[in-house]
Amino acid sequence: MNKHITLVWILLVLLTVSVGIISSLSLDIAVISILLLSSLKFIGVTFYFMELKKAHVFWKVSILIYLSFFSIITYSFL
Amino acid sequence: MQVQNINSKSLYYPPGGILLWIIIFLELITFGVALIAMVISSKENPTVFHESRLLLNTAFGTINTVFLITSGFFMAVSVNYLKQKNTKKSLLFLRFTMLGGLLFLILKSIEYSDKIDAGLTIGYNTFFTFYWMLTLFHVIHVIVGLVILGSVYIGLKNKKSTTSIEDVEASAAFWHMCDLIWLLLFPIIYLLF
Repeated sequence: MNKHITLVWILLVLLTVSVGIISSLSLDIAVISILLLSSLKFIGVTFYFMELKKAHVFWKVSILIYLSFFSIITYSFL
Repeated sequence: MQVQNINSKSLYYPPGGILLWIIIFLELITFGVALIAMVISSKENPTVFHESRLLLNTAFGTINTVFLITSGFFMAVSVNYLKQKNTKKSLLFLRFTMLGGLLFLILKSIEYSDKIDAGLTIGYNTFFTFYWMLTLFHVIHVIVGLVILGSVYIGLKNKKSTTSIEDVEASAAFWHMCDLIWLLLFPIIYLLF
């Protein structure tokens, strides 16, 4: 179990560093990339650290709906 | 410590408890709406937002993200050890969790001090009004989280403690919520404008 969480932690740190590097580059896809990678981090924390993976489907779907709405609205206004 | 079998698959018992998950959603919606308001405000004066964003220290933001993610990781490990009834290791990782939170606060204080010295206070412009309000509100959550973790730590250390695994899971869920809020704040405030 702790091994599984450790892998998620390493992935989250790598994603954080990647997001930092992408933002420093002037890429056309920077905004969408940062939002997508940040969403992945959000899912990593909720599903693995908060153990939402083991919860009822209602809670999983609710958090995914929230994240989708937030990302889409933010992207549409940027 | 009291250990009970909790069926996390039940709609009414998500990990950390239903009441805390209601709070988590309310907090996420509150911060989410404020961040969307910030993004909409940036449309009125994109140059000011872009130039103001460049005044922030992205390295500080990235390091603070790593601190909070690592702290959240230690919290998850601590809860797992507690479920295995290994209180000693659980307490050790709970200490690491609190250290991560303290390092976040120290770096944030240095960042705030730099901003105040440079005259970039809450009234400087719209960007910095949002920056101060959102990050300070988040810092208050981190401080409250540390107080909760401190009380759980004392509770677990006490041999006659009545601290249950549900109490620890609820505290852990609150701590992870601080992490989640930061994961929303960091890309928008520090990277996207």
